[in-house]
Amino acid sequence: MKKRLISTLLILSMTAAMAAGCSGKESSSDSNTGGTGGASSDTTASDDGADGEGGSITFMAPDWAIPTDDQLKAFTDETGIEVTVNEVGWDDIRDKMVTAAAGGQAVADVVEVDWSWVGEFYAADWLEPLDVSDEVKADMPTLETFTKDGNVLAIPYANDYRLSYYNTKQYEDAEIKEEPQTWDEVYANCKTLKEKGVCDYPFALPLNAEEKTSTYLMWLAYTMNGIVFNDDGTLNKDSVLAALKYEEQLIKDELVDPADKTSSGMDAYKRILSGSANFLTGPTSFVSKSTNEEDCSVIGQITPILVPGKDAKATVTMALPEALGVTKFSENKDAAKKFIEWYTSAEMQEALNETNTAIPTLNSVLKKLIDDGKIQNAGAMMEQAELIASPFPGGVPSYYAEMSNAMYNAINKMALGEMTADEAYAEMEAKVAELAAE
Amino acid sequence: MRKKILPYLLLSPMILIMGVLVFYPIIATFSYSLKKWKLTAPNDIHMVGLRNYAAILKSDSFWYSFQNTLFILAVVVLLTTVLGFLTSIFLNIDVKWSGILLAVAMLPWALPPYVNGILWKFVFSSGYGFMNKAVIGLGLAGKPIEWLSSRWSLLLIVSLVVTWRSIPFTALVCLAGRQSIPGGLYEAARIDGGNRRTIFRTITLPLMLPFLAIGITSTSVTAINVFDEIIALSGYSDLGKNILVESYMTTFSFLDFGKGSAVTYLVMLFAGILGIFYLRSLNKEVEY
Amino acid sequence: MKFSKKIGYFIALVIFLILTLGPFLWTFVLSITPEYAMMEKTTRLLPEVITYDNYRELLTSGTQKGSILITGIRNALKAVGATLLLGIPIAMMSAYALSRMEFKGRRLIKNLLLITMVIPVMATIIPLFRLFVARQWLDDVFWLSTVYVSSYLPMTTWLMSNYFATIPKELEEAAQIDGCGRLSSFLRIILPTSYPIILSAALIMFLNTWSQFQIPLILASSLETKPVAIVVSEFMTKDSVQYGLTAAAGMIAVLPPAITALIFRKFLISGMMGGAVKG
Repeated sequence: MKKRLISTLLILSMTAAMAAGCSGKESSSDSNTGGTGGASSDTTASDDGADGEGGSITFMAPDWAIPTDDQLKAFTDETGIEVTVNEVGWDDIRDKMVTAAAGGQAVADVVEVDWSWVGEFYAADWLEPLDVSDEVKADMPTLETFTKDGNVLAIPYANDYRLSYYNTKQYEDAEIKEEPQTWDEVYANCKTLKEKGVCDYPFALPLNAEEKTSTYLMWLAYTMNGIVFNDDGTLNKDSVLAALKYEEQLIKDELVDPADKTSSGMDAYKRILSGSANFLTGPTSFVSKSTNEEDCSVIGQITPILVPGKDAKATVTMALPEALGVTKFSENKDAAKKFIEWYTSAEMQEALNETNTAIPTLNSVLKKLIDDGKIQNAGAMMEQAELIASPFPGGVPSYYAEMSNAMYNAINKMALGEMTADEAYAEMEAKVAELAAE
Repeated sequence: MRKKILPYLLLSPMILIMGVLVFYPIIATFSYSLKKWKLTAPNDIHMVGLRNYAAILKSDSFWYSFQNTLFILAVVVLLTTVLGFLTSIFLNIDVKWSGILLAVAMLPWALPPYVNGILWKFVFSSGYGFMNKAVIGLGLAGKPIEWLSSRWSLLLIVSLVVTWRSIPFTALVCLAGRQSIPGGLYEAARIDGGNRRTIFRTITLPLMLPFLAIGITSTSVTAINVFDEIIALSGYSDLGKNILVESYMTTFSFLDFGKGSAVTYLVMLFAGILGIFYLRSLNKEVEY
Repeated sequence: MKFSKKIGYFIALVIFLILTLGPFLWTFVLSITPEYAMMEKTTRLLPEVITYDNYRELLTSGTQKGSILITGIRNALKAVGATLLLGIPIAMMSAYALSRMEFKGRRLIKNLLLITMVIPVMATIIPLFRLFVARQWLDDVFWLSTVYVSSYLPMTTWLMSNYFATIPKELEEAAQIDGCGRLSSFLRIILPTSYPIILSAALIMFLNTWSQFQIPLILASSLETKPVAIVVSEFMTKDSVQYGLTAAAGMIAVLPPAITALIFRKFLISGMMGGAVKG
């Protein structure tokens, strides 16, 4: 009895495994569209995945970029193009693109492109150049970041530029009357805050070995001195070394929380939301975070201001936007381009701000939202948006990842006390020069 | 005639799977490692023989990572094997709640790697993680200790975390090994008048040795291939990187597939040498 | 005498529980801490305000995160099922051949199989990806499971074959004299006494599959197939890290394997009883 049961079980399991395999294969070949590598539906604008007259495309992006089902349906109704959404975590998108490209495949037709990837994607020839009208170019300063050799490789949809924030109540408590205009004032005020016991670690500074640390140094140098890289791609010593020494001083005077040396950059930023830090130069998303009960315990105390500069307020700020691009391997390029045009149009940017809290990249839309009161506690947000520029003379370099890695490691070592600012600078300078020369 | 084919027939599914999904890819990766292949220079791909390997073996970065790997390997294998073995003995004791105990023992293994990373980040955070709360609360230190800021401290913590999640596996393997010892042997030994310690030494330990050995091999592979924990605890920093992080960074971050494949191959070779070493000691069949 | 044994056991039990469950307790505390209190500088162990929002969000059906988590768990279970269905029979067949049959190349195959244990995922993932793309095997639970099987096969085959080797040849020979073929002697003699090892192998496959991350990331990360390990990692995005939510999700994600291990132990004991006849 038992024997029969077991042998039946064995045969059944082998058959089941085979059957699962066959049916699995069928379903995956059904949902395959175009030449893409196995993207499958998350939300489809209609059932069955049958081809509309306009064709169909796959769209890979992190969750904050996914439009609502209604919005997608509207797009399909208007153009006849079906959209298959593939939601992937941000960090993983790059890995997938890399793996897919190594196999000569497109991971999707429309794909998220972070500003830091543009350089390498361009060198690896993974993005299809796009056409953008001059008016859009004028209204969308962040487009510059995605332009290389005159080609627009992706259109930004989420604007994330650096804005400064400080806690006004703490300033009052420490009897500091005015908002800081220069970095030196910020430094002096932080010392006062600490001495008077109002705030122990007033300056939020990411120092962990991650992206945010190197970008922080970059925009610090940029807003302080207006330049980061020389035209040949090497680091500008006067500017970057000065910024590095500024950071070193902050660390030495214990104006930065030691936890910032190893906690994630985002956690360092968030300290301002709990009152544990006073001054932050960080993402625009903190405008809304500072009014959100779930995130912030010091609501009403934080004000966004223009980023300080050397002798007065900074004349430029850096943006770290995210964009959408069309992959070179895509077989539905026209449809993909239409999708991006639709996605980054003024109406959609307004709509997406509401549904996805995305900050629009078209300055006209940003202005409208602030004026209409849809974005609260905007402070200096609009003024800052008009100062966006790119610190990379030739566009984002193809060796960006390696360069950033060298930079954040050097800064991190300096923060941990293993190197002085001069030594850290020397290490960074050498690596960047090496990469730029290749 | 049929009898002679039978073993091969039985082995054919395994051979098929391993051949297609393991051996073919390894060979492919080896061929990548012989090329100069940077994704950011797609028109410049050509064979360079062993030059990638030479470059890597000459780089300080690689040897630094290798040292870190060795440290983690030593600590993890030692602790996991000893503690895993002890745990298996503990779990073997037949009590009413032994089922629950086994489930509890398996929990560290069941935790998704990402959550594992966050958890330990919050325990050893340089801010007010659990350890610092305890240490300051008990008055042992005035300010938070920066656990993760120095190389050896970081590596030690990584090793402890990896040990924590690897013990369940070793315990399970040893438990399985313990079950494979025929009960009859114990009875015979008891009749012959052996006391607990002798029985352990002459029966339990030798018969469990092969299982222990497989546990050690597997743990070694795990220890060499630590990745998630290092990233979670210290990001992509140079401080705590091991050769697998090095391999990942080279391949996926710097987009150098040629070199990256070569590093991966070196990782594999290292683990392979260890594996062969263990295998030799394993292949001594146990006498009854 | 007996009393000191009991104390010894009790102490071991306490240490065991603290070391194993302690971190989970901490994870639980994290999961009930509101986000803004995560970084607070106090030595207090529990947060001032306790929130069950994270669990509420994950467990109420209809919320986005909740349904994604359930999908992730479902996908992981599917992968486990397929892996077990495929892996256990193949391991058994291979183990039987390698341990109880004589043939040319036995040692070679055995060693080759074992040596593949050392191969890291990264060494094979890119060629595998190209293969999968070429054959449209992506986002398919079955083919994903074959990859898993290929990585567990060495270990489980070895475990089983070691176990099989301890079964005396006489038993099989006796059965064969009685007129059983190889297959029925396998089913009647070997299998029943091997419950413990087979179940152990199954549990190993279960838990290993449950924590797979890098392989499904590359080969099967669509919503229909991504396992809970990936789902949980996606709660942490570039800009908004929700530690509490991730911790809560982690707590929920350990439940299926934990329950399985619980049930497993019962069978292990009953299997042992059946195996006692072996002596």
